[in-house]
Amino acid sequence: MLTALILADSRFPGGGHVHSGGLEEAAARGLVVDEPSLESFLHGRLLTAGLLAAGFAAAAARGEDLAELDAELDARTPSPAQREASRAQGRGMLRAARRAWPSERLSALPRDPHQPLVIGVLVGDAFEAALTCAYLSVSGPASAAVRLLGLDPFGVNAIVASLDVEEVAARACKELPALGSPALDLLAEAHVRREGVRLFGS
Amino acid sequence: MKASARLVVALDSHGNSVVRVLRSQSPLTLVPARRVGAVALVHLVSSVTSPLGGDSLELTVEVGPGASLDLRGVAATLMLPGPTGLPSFSSVRFSVEGTVRYLPEPTVVTRRADHTAVVEAELDSHAELSLREVLVLGRAGEPGGVLSTLVRATRCGRPLLHQQLVVGSPAVDRSSAGLAGKRVVGTSLMLDAVPRASGGGEWWNVVPLAAGGTLATALGDDVVTVTRVLDAI
Repeated sequence: MLTALILADSRFPGGGHVHSGGLEEAAARGLVVDEPSLESFLHGRLLTAGLLAAGFAAAAARGEDLAELDAELDARTPSPAQREASRAQGRGMLRAARRAWPSERLSALPRDPHQPLVIGVLVGDAFEAALTCAYLSVSGPASAAVRLLGLDPFGVNAIVASLDVEEVAARACKELPALGSPALDLLAEAHVRREGVRLFGS
Repeated sequence: MKASARLVVALDSHGNSVVRVLRSQSPLTLVPARRVGAVALVHLVSSVTSPLGGDSLELTVEVGPGASLDLRGVAATLMLPGPTGLPSFSSVRFSVEGTVRYLPEPTVVTRRADHTAVVEAELDSHAELSLREVLVLGRAGEPGGVLSTLVRATRCGRPLLHQQLVVGSPAVDRSSAGLAGKRVVGTSLMLDAVPRASGGGEWWNVVPLAAGGTLATALGDDVVTVTRVLDAI
């Protein structure tokens, strides 16, 4: 449980703070401008990308073959920008984890692993790993919204607290999800193409 | 209604792609074009109003080494609820050692329809598959029903694309992290060795898949806009 708490903490030095999960692009287009539109974004993200990531974290925690999971997650992530964001965050998390929790199983991870696999291996319990992953799928974009749009941190926190993160984590433990989000894919790719100043890596 | 159909296309000794097995079962009616050539053309005609709630339709397609098949729809598929309130199901399974182009017409998910559509394709090392899918949420002015689509493509057992799309949950359909309120979703999957330029616009893009192949995705408010984007790729 402590490992899950540390990984979900925004102060964990895994580099997660530089990713907005598509929120920066959505904000730049005026799709997310206030608390209601942020809530809609986070709800959609949790039920698509969040469920997908949580399912893979749970499977990795159950001890399933990591190379196979890595290939299956690639097949479920058509956007190269999203694959790179997931692997960049996996890499960052792994770097910090090697110091904090050295273990044999970490070396079984593929090179530049997807973040959900790292979370699964580190947390070890399927539900806790899914919960950590599902929470991170919305907490990063939520804090990005505070920074980018100047939204009220108390209001944003209340939105995050109201989301059904536990239910999504429970669903993610049942089977390997494959739910895609066409809009998130398009936002992620457009973010990479966007010229000018970007505060976030995704 | 339960129906299954099967289509087998192989290369003959003259280099023509010929239909070896053609087993239709209404509403899955397969109509081969009367022409002989390198590419076999077969139309998939829905010969009874289908799918309705409760229907289960299965089509199996095999294309042998060197053979080439164009499988096309003739009219948009209207997914309707049935009298029983049961969900409907359809699947198309491809086993490809040659080349397949599958171009069904748009699928319209009408209000109260509840349909699951599965497309599975297993390719051998040199096989090529292109597949276009255009989904429309509801007829004009009508909210859409519930549709779950799953596409899984593998090459020699290795996954290339595995994507599920569920429409009909208003909160996700409206979300800018879901369908962003768009009524039409189009995808064009091209599994071949042809290099294509990545790129995109506001609501469309073309991207390389991790294990080979290209996927184009477009969201829009009408079929014409989405089809035009996919045609241009």
